[in-house]
Amino acid sequence: MSTSVTRTTRPGPLGPHSLIDRFLYGISRYSSTLLLLMVFTVETGVVIFVIRDLRAADSEVQTMYVGSVIGLRGIGGLQYDAQETRRATLYALTTNDSNLQVEYADQSRDADRRVTNGINEYLGRAHTASAIEVGKRLQSDWVAYLKVRDEVLASILEGSIKEAVDYDLKGGVPSFDRVRQDLEEIKRQYDEQASQQLADVDESSRRSAGRLVGVLCFTLLFASVSIWAIQRARMLSALKLAKLQMDFVASVSHELRTPLAVISASAQNIADGVVEEKDQLTRYGNVIRNHTRQLTELVNQILLFASTREGRTHYVVRPMSIEQLFESVLHNTREVVREAGFTVDVQVEPDLPPILGDISALSQCVQNLVGNAVKYGGTHGRIAMRALLQKSEIPHGDEVRITVEDHGIGIDSSDLPHIFDPFYRSPSVAAAQIHGTGLGLPLAKSIAEAMGGKITVVTKLGVGSAFTLHLPTLKKGTLQTETVSPDLLTRR
Amino acid sequence: MLRRPRFLIIALVLVLLADGSAQKTVRASADVQTSVATDESIAIVVNQENTIENLSMKDLRSIFLGERSHWPNGRRITLVMMEPGQLERKAILRDIYRMNETDFSRHFLQGLFTGEVFVSPKTLASPVGVRKFIFNVPGAIGYVRASDVDPTIKVVRIDGRSPEDKDYELRLQPRLGTK
Repeated sequence: MSTSVTRTTRPGPLGPHSLIDRFLYGISRYSSTLLLLMVFTVETGVVIFVIRDLRAADSEVQTMYVGSVIGLRGIGGLQYDAQETRRATLYALTTNDSNLQVEYADQSRDADRRVTNGINEYLGRAHTASAIEVGKRLQSDWVAYLKVRDEVLASILEGSIKEAVDYDLKGGVPSFDRVRQDLEEIKRQYDEQASQQLADVDESSRRSAGRLVGVLCFTLLFASVSIWAIQRARMLSALKLAKLQMDFVASVSHELRTPLAVISASAQNIADGVVEEKDQLTRYGNVIRNHTRQLTELVNQILLFASTREGRTHYVVRPMSIEQLFESVLHNTREVVREAGFTVDVQVEPDLPPILGDISALSQCVQNLVGNAVKYGGTHGRIAMRALLQKSEIPHGDEVRITVEDHGIGIDSSDLPHIFDPFYRSPSVAAAQIHGTGLGLPLAKSIAEAMGGKITVVTKLGVGSAFTLHLPTLKKGTLQTETVSPDLLTRR
Repeated sequence: MLRRPRFLIIALVLVLLADGSAQKTVRASADVQTSVATDESIAIVVNQENTIENLSMKDLRSIFLGERSHWPNGRRITLVMMEPGQLERKAILRDIYRMNETDFSRHFLQGLFTGEVFVSPKTLASPVGVRKFIFNVPGAIGYVRASDVDPTIKVVRIDGRSPEDKDYELRLQPRLGTK
């Protein structure tokens, strides 16, 4: 099981809505930007929805205009032209001048051509069965009227006025009435269609308004919930931090009080003259020295962590060999390892390239890993410390991997996401009375990242853990010493 | 002093003579144009519904004189003439009626009065009017220049000859060797 661990927050039973709170913890891990992005996405969706709705309503209105208003206008034109056809025919009756009669006949034929075209256009647009039926009836009645009209015109031009009038009265008037009725029928259909479409548009408008109100309500609700979620996420985050700080204070107090008590008791015994022999004095002196060193390390650890958090730490970066680093680590942890009864097996791959970093900081980083291995290494009594050259995840790059492996209690999977959180201590570890501040691993991680590297962990509960520090190898041409802040180093 | 008026008179005569010869030249060229334009056939036209395809000159004369009232299909014959003074009318009077305007008027007045003539001709001002009239009246018959014929009307052959034929009789100008 290989896990790249990043800093995480700890879910906890902080209220009745544990599922919601877990979700909010998840959000707070990636800040509220994610939530705002969700709000923006929903808002965009809402806007698109409203625009589509408005366009649909607009399209319906346009369809109504084209279908009814223009249709009605067309029928009005047809009625006028049909009247014009008949009017021009009757005007020819009013004169004996053949030239004028021919002119009127011409006007009548022009008008009847417009009517014929208009009927064809109407039939082309008609979609309903009733519209097609009345259109065909109009076409048939109009052709019938034109036959009579032709006879009437012929009679007028021939000079047979009586015959023309007879034709018109017997055939023209009834057939033209039928045409007029057909046109009225079409007009009535258009009126009905327009009324229906108006009702549809009204309904659609009402529907759109309802949707708009619904969407606005939803948006308002969503925005309110989002604001509440952001506020609650912040509050939970603050609560968690406060709890961790309280735990830290309690833990540090305990860590400080224990050596202080031992030092105080030893000093008291010496002062009271209880210890007189040289061997006893030496043993008491060692106890005081060890606990003083422990106190110093604890205070240094806290101060170092505080300074890395505030970005005040300045590292002296220079090329160094892995052997130098290991030598420093082994020297500084010698006492701790020995007192705990552990031995360290060191394996270093031959001809490892140098690395660039602050030897003191990196030594502190590996020391923390070794210290953890001692603390949680169980009774096995062996710690492995290896250094290997491997390909890094960066293309064409190599890295040195320094692994500190123990065969101790391992890390529970529920604790794994939080082991690099400052002040975090596993409940099982705390219950086992294993002392610690919860700063060792966060500090190691902080240093590793400041040196352009990272820490990964492989662990199995009851079998042991292996922490690996990944450090990029030194490129050629960068062999110089400089002092940089951790931010600058991380950006490299 | 006496010589000057004589000189002026001679000069005036010369100018008038010169002017007269120029006018004659212009008239001559106009006559040439007229003769070109008027050497055109006159088509006898009927309504497209009329089934008549050919008429003899005798039948045509009879129809134009108003001696027939109906076509074989039963339709009443309506005679269409152009207004007096038109070249087409002059040619029809000359070649079909063989009358002048006065005789033409007298023939129809007298014939309608006595009942010998059944048809009173309709008078139209232009070839377009004639075409439209014939288009509107199924029994109408009239005449237009061959160049004025269009698909709205139908040309009838006379004695088996159409207006495009060389020996077609009805022309704006009388053919040489004919009356």
